[in-house]
Amino acid sequence: MTAERKAKDITAVRMVINWLGLGLFALLGVAAVAPLFLIIGDVYIKGIDAINRLGGLWHFLTGLPPTPYEESGGIGPMLVGTFYMTALGALLGIAVGFPLGVYIGEMRREKFANVARAGVNVLVEFPTIVVGLFVYAVMSLAKEDLNLYLLDPLSRAISPVGGWITRFIGPLDGYNAYAGAAALSIIMIPYVALITASAYASIEQPLREAAYAIGGREFNALFVVLRKAVSRAVLTAALLGTAKIAGETAPLLFTAFGNFYYGPFTGPTAAVPLWIWYAAQTPYEVQIASAYGAAAVLLTIILTIFIIARIRG
Amino acid sequence: MLGFLLVVLLIPYLIAAYGLLFVKLRWGLRLFGAFIVATIGLLTAMFLVEAYPIIARDGVAVFLQTGWDPVRESYGVLQALTGTVLTSAVAMALAMPMALGVAVTINEILPTRWRGVFGSLVDLTATMPTVIYGLWGLFVLGPTLHSLVNTLARDTMTSPYTLFTAGVLLAIMITPYAAAVIREGYALVPKPVEEAIYAVGATRFEAALIKLRYVKNYILGGFFLALGRAMGETVAVAMVVGGNFSRFTTNIFESGITISSLIALQFPNAASYQYMVPALFAGALLLTLFGVAINAVAIYIIQRGQI
Amino acid sequence: MAKIELKDLRVSFGVSPVITGVNLSIPDRSITALMGPSGSGKSTVLRVLNRLIELYPEAKVSGEVYLDGQNIFDMNVLELRRKVQMIFQIPNPIPNLSIFENVALGLKLNRLVRGRRELFERVKSALEKAQLWDEVRNRLDMPAGKLSGGQQQRLCVARALAFEPEVLLADEPTANLDPENTAKVEALFLWLKKEMTIVLVTHYPPQAARISDYAAFLYKGQIVEWGPTKDTFTKPRHELTEKYVTGRLY
Repeated sequence: MTAERKAKDITAVRMVINWLGLGLFALLGVAAVAPLFLIIGDVYIKGIDAINRLGGLWHFLTGLPPTPYEESGGIGPMLVGTFYMTALGALLGIAVGFPLGVYIGEMRREKFANVARAGVNVLVEFPTIVVGLFVYAVMSLAKEDLNLYLLDPLSRAISPVGGWITRFIGPLDGYNAYAGAAALSIIMIPYVALITASAYASIEQPLREAAYAIGGREFNALFVVLRKAVSRAVLTAALLGTAKIAGETAPLLFTAFGNFYYGPFTGPTAAVPLWIWYAAQTPYEVQIASAYGAAAVLLTIILTIFIIARIRG
Repeated sequence: MLGFLLVVLLIPYLIAAYGLLFVKLRWGLRLFGAFIVATIGLLTAMFLVEAYPIIARDGVAVFLQTGWDPVRESYGVLQALTGTVLTSAVAMALAMPMALGVAVTINEILPTRWRGVFGSLVDLTATMPTVIYGLWGLFVLGPTLHSLVNTLARDTMTSPYTLFTAGVLLAIMITPYAAAVIREGYALVPKPVEEAIYAVGATRFEAALIKLRYVKNYILGGFFLALGRAMGETVAVAMVVGGNFSRFTTNIFESGITISSLIALQFPNAASYQYMVPALFAGALLLTLFGVAINAVAIYIIQRGQI
Repeated sequence: MAKIELKDLRVSFGVSPVITGVNLSIPDRSITALMGPSGSGKSTVLRVLNRLIELYPEAKVSGEVYLDGQNIFDMNVLELRRKVQMIFQIPNPIPNLSIFENVALGLKLNRLVRGRRELFERVKSALEKAQLWDEVRNRLDMPAGKLSGGQQQRLCVARALAFEPEVLLADEPTANLDPENTAKVEALFLWLKKEMTIVLVTHYPPQAARISDYAAFLYKGQIVEWGPTKDTFTKPRHELTEKYVTGRLY
């Protein structure tokens, strides 16, 4: 066999290995993404069918959840609860996460900033059930005195405003919406902080120097002049963070606990993911169906936020 | 009183921090930093306090015993610990190849126009609520794996809901986390190095392998990040793992339990027993420890490679 | 027949044309210099010759290039790169691999040697030719990233020479080196041209005058003039060429 022929053979073998190897990588890559389609398909197929069987979309979005023996029902209380807790959690998440992100992103020279950054890195992928347990522990500790010294007097003071206010402010039960929102915010804060930090960190030095020169006070430089440069990233973080906490279940298990009814926010509060968690594990067909319907609604909310974030970002 | 003070002082603290931003920016920012550090400290302290009763009573045995017997108030989390280890092992074994596949597919195989879409799909996989993964696992993945495995090897899986099911589901969920880190590193391979690799006559596959070796810090970092996620995942695992609280098993094809799912599933009962709540908090302490340790390692590895 | 022939080569990046019709014959066993101001397309021409241009998906190439009469675009690219090696302007060893592994990489990938003995001999010989062997013989396992700039460049030369290539493409190889290292590299090229064809891109006319046998002047993507170096420098036919070689055009 001549040297030329041998070289050609070796090359041929390498090309075959090339195709096989790249094919394997491609297969693995597709395998990573394929379940997404399977899951979305499964949820929508069974979910839309369930919503139809359980009384149609409007009834599903506003009605009470089905008992095991009913034939129709909805997730009204759950949507309200999710909306309320997610909004509060996101508000707090951005309110604290953004300045925190500025701190660890801009003041990197300080030792304490690096400690804080380490803390943020630790918290960002913390098991969410641990966060829920933490808020539960604080809640149990604080509840009695909190009610006694603050919330009872407060609610009596503002009761002239109207009965509806008691749904929002008043003595807290062990399980309530505010504990749930607190847990959600603890999950969102590090997420927003990290993205804010890297948005500020990726500002090129010349731009930063210009901002300080124009802005005068550091506050102006960071928050007014550089606003445009970071606002896209921060907005994306806010949206994606909100989507993330809207779908969280574990942190709500011991804080909001869940509810079948439109209860006051000072007591156990319903949430869509909590309902899915509960209903999917019952043996009752109608409740399992409502779990799928709820999943379809939740998925739609999250997909919408995700797509908005992707388009704007 | 302590708890009351904590909650009540929170609002003024945050208002003060915000106010300071306008007056003395840097101190305002520092207060936010302090907030996050204090939160972690408080968390650890509270868990220690809550878990104290059972650690005082049984000592470290809580972590080494098996058997979860509420009636006899005897709690061991060893079977849960084993379950966490086993499900994480299965998950990592499946997830790492997929994460590498994603990185190479995006950077070497896909045409430029499709890269963004594919990347978004992977990111979407990470954003999906875990309870929906659990739902799918409960009604689709579990039964499918059950018939699949039992067709290949009779009666291996005793039920559709086993440690193996949880491991597979976890793999799907954690792959995007490892993939994100590896992708980031892969994209940072400098163009001159890429030119050198191809100039010496590498095929695209060979070049991919060389580049992966170049970014092995990121691969390791992604590994630990995904591992931390796998160990902490609660809801999806709880829905498919089988809820075997008391019997110790190392067979992944049997029902089992993990620390996080133990907490999730047993907590509703816990108030009725004297020592169960502390035992669950002891489990949470363990989880916290793992979470902190593993994420710290992950960050350290990634940052060390960035020099 | 010339070693390399370029016929009506055109390259554009997206909508911007970079090379607009280049015809060139590069003779064997000599040094051909490709000179011209920045942006004239010299590096692009070089990257066509070993098809490294294919790493840039925005680049569109048309025209024909022949190596020993064979169209390089019809050849298997791995076969081409076995014969045509390149040295880059900024040294680019693979930093996490050892000195030895950097030189050995091409040999191992292309199965050019059999056995560890032969591999070692080839690597040693390449490092010797590149005048790096004595400095690194005791630390072959050290990561290549730790070498100095000049050493790294000589490592890249060794990497290319290990192939015993027929053609050596050099993209401004001494632009980032100090005079001492530059002199070493130029002396090496003069010695190597006895065995191989060298195509040297340089933006420094005196270098072309010093060591090349043939010189081509590239301006805005077109060959303005080419021929034996002596003629190009002493009797340029074109006004632009004259301006360039006397340093009035950059």
